[in-house]
Amino acid sequence: MLLEMDSITKSYGLVRANQNVNFNLRKGEVHALIGENGAGKTTLMRILYGMESPTSGQIKIDGKPVTFHDPTDAIKHKIGMVHQHFMLFPAFSIAENIVIGGEPKKGIVFDRKQAIEQTIALSEQYGMPVDPKKKVADCSLGMQQRVEILKVLYQGAETIILDEPTGVLTPLEVKELLASIKALTAKGKSFIIISHKLSEIMEVSDRITVLRDGVVTGTVNASETNEEQLSRMMVGRELIKLERSEAKIGKPVLELKDVTIVGNKTKPLLEDVQFNVHEGEIVGVAGISGNGQSELLQAISGLMPIDRGTIALQEKNITGASVKMIRESGLAHIPEDRYLWGVSKEATVSDNGIMGHLSRTSKRGMLDGKAIRTLVSGWVERFGIKTGSLHTKAQYLSGGNLQKLIVAREIAQQTPFLIAAEPTRGVDVGAMEIIHGELLKRRDEGAAILLVSSELTEIMKLSDRILVMYEGKVVGELDAATATEEQISLLMAGGKAVGQA
Amino acid sequence: MDKLKSTLQSLVQPLLAVLVGLLVGAIAILIVGGDILETYREMWKGAFGSFYFLTNTLARATPIILVGLGVALAFRAGFFNMGSEGQMVLGALSAALTALYIPGPGWVKIIAAFAAAVVVAGLWSALAGWLDSKFGMNLLITTLLLNYIATLFAGYMVAYPFKDRSGSAALSQTEMIDASVMLPKLFQGMTVHVGFIIAIVATLALHFFINSTTKGYEIRMLGGNPLFASYGGVSRGKLMVMSMFISGAFAGLAGVSEVLGTQYRFLDGSLTSANYAWSGIMATLLANSNPIGTAIASLLLAALQTGGMGVERNTDVPLEISSIIQAVLILFISAKFTISFIKRKKAGAKDGSAV
Repeated sequence: MLLEMDSITKSYGLVRANQNVNFNLRKGEVHALIGENGAGKTTLMRILYGMESPTSGQIKIDGKPVTFHDPTDAIKHKIGMVHQHFMLFPAFSIAENIVIGGEPKKGIVFDRKQAIEQTIALSEQYGMPVDPKKKVADCSLGMQQRVEILKVLYQGAETIILDEPTGVLTPLEVKELLASIKALTAKGKSFIIISHKLSEIMEVSDRITVLRDGVVTGTVNASETNEEQLSRMMVGRELIKLERSEAKIGKPVLELKDVTIVGNKTKPLLEDVQFNVHEGEIVGVAGISGNGQSELLQAISGLMPIDRGTIALQEKNITGASVKMIRESGLAHIPEDRYLWGVSKEATVSDNGIMGHLSRTSKRGMLDGKAIRTLVSGWVERFGIKTGSLHTKAQYLSGGNLQKLIVAREIAQQTPFLIAAEPTRGVDVGAMEIIHGELLKRRDEGAAILLVSSELTEIMKLSDRILVMYEGKVVGELDAATATEEQISLLMAGGKAVGQA
Repeated sequence: MDKLKSTLQSLVQPLLAVLVGLLVGAIAILIVGGDILETYREMWKGAFGSFYFLTNTLARATPIILVGLGVALAFRAGFFNMGSEGQMVLGALSAALTALYIPGPGWVKIIAAFAAAVVVAGLWSALAGWLDSKFGMNLLITTLLLNYIATLFAGYMVAYPFKDRSGSAALSQTEMIDASVMLPKLFQGMTVHVGFIIAIVATLALHFFINSTTKGYEIRMLGGNPLFASYGGVSRGKLMVMSMFISGAFAGLAGVSEVLGTQYRFLDGSLTSANYAWSGIMATLLANSNPIGTAIASLLLAALQTGGMGVERNTDVPLEISSIIQAVLILFISAKFTISFIKRKKAGAKDGSAV
């Protein structure tokens, strides 16, 4: 056994983040660690990487007990970690980022030439091509992740921990990453992958350990399990199958005509975007992030002025109208970045909850405390939002719970049109199930929903119609019933539509 | 329960700051060869030692509270209103001139003076807000610079057109207002006047406004996360002009209450040299823009200043001892800002993009 963690317990005050967790890793294996948010996956890996010390328990490497005081100790024992949020210097080149901490030197001077040579040698050895002189700031997220993995390999890691490695990647980049992982294991490297994306886990791992509430609920071989079983082990109950009724499509609610935002780059941010969303349908917008989806949503919701074209909501021209007016005309909006747009972190749960609901929660300019409590505590109950109280500051809620609060707030607007942008980003399986169910319910009630997501599976699962965006244009419209993931991926990457148009 | 807890928690840091301030002050006293206990005893006496000194402190606190409240409101909306001084001076000047030249009975003149001060100071402040929302001129810079225009303009007005030529003194000041316009003192022979009551009422009113009205809610959300506010349909420009108007109006209240309650005329430099505006800003920062906390912090700063005068009167330790303690308080405040700034940056990196 390459690595063993024996009955690890980690307590923060009264909270047990890990309780008697046993975890081990064989040489050349991919061992996935899965569980809902707050199940203790990251804590366990932080212990292994020396960032936390366990309250009790023992780590053994090659059968010998070890104690890590900080990550340097872990690196000495050939353990490397790639964090969910990359830790690179954007202003420096790839080579400089890779050799950091063990820079080649000529006398006392940094030897840039040798750094580049070493980077090339490393990338060839492991079959992960990079351009060593390129600045990290100019790299795609997939490339940055490759740099992170090479950095860990440069430090001599035999065991590599990947924390949510595919969260920010495009489908194509995910494929490349999974291929790299397989290639590296063939060269004898071992991987621990933290993730909640079951399909990817199933594809790449040999064994899977499931954590729930800090306790291991089981370790299974990937070849002997399936996604349903894993979900059950994670959530602790049977997941409800989403019932999708036939779409009852009504009149158009949102109509976009030739919407263009020129911007100050060589290419327009949005170019002649034209589509409708009808009552009772979910229109999914697929695309690699940064291809105009954000601008599209901001244009529709009045947060960004458009240069050409018209936008109509409920047959009312809302081009250039204020956010307030657009919202009053029937828009609710689950924003793509919950911390940037969706909440005020310093404000309380109830303050964050009543944004856009002031007409219902105030009387003659005064906030109505009772109405606010009834409204917000209703959501807390219905969506199972875990919060200390309604006066808890939003920043103390976990990402998933905050997202549930935002979704609850926007769905409760009961508007004829709803934007759902990345509605389940960073949210665990249980919460995802609730949010998807609520979106479908709104659709069945006759609302028009525009769904934007970087998760293709989410788009495919919820949409009735799928639009694909590439470089600010809608490059394809597909019927969700017949569309395939390959078709969409191709369009997302700028390829031509095959068959349908 | 939660609310009470968070209020208590917000008190911990300012109290700690004061404690460290006193500690550093003690070292300074030691260096100049004073007796620490003796000095602080005199400071306490100078601030609260007798009914006269207590009311004196309250009188000094009055303009500081009012300025502080205005700054607090602007801060809550996310705007750095650094222009309280100019707003207060313009408010005071317009109050004095209104009181002097408007005909009618005393109470009419009082109301008119208050209205003039509030409107003029409010508009002066709203101008900066408008420049920012319309032309993107940085509010912090404009409010700071508008101070010079306001104070120098007011100085000119009382040095030339409205100069008091009745007395022999060569001071730049207006004539004295009529006795019927003077705000009554709260106690016979004491300096504290009705303005203090106004400040207390204003404190409670602002507390209520910020926490319990829809406009207050919008202001809080705008200050907390401007993008969230705009996403929710709050119009930044309108709210900015409005909150800057109210913010300036509070500074105007400070000006009018000084003129009608203490000085009975507009005397050039009397409001600026007493540093009311900057003490008000400091009180706000100490109290983290909580209205009630701002009032308490203002009292504390006023006590520090009147106490310092007591120290100078009765010991060999100079008045500057108060400035040293205040300077430490400022250091603490800036440290707090830096820490929360770093925290915010860190949090930003955590939630934001990966790079």
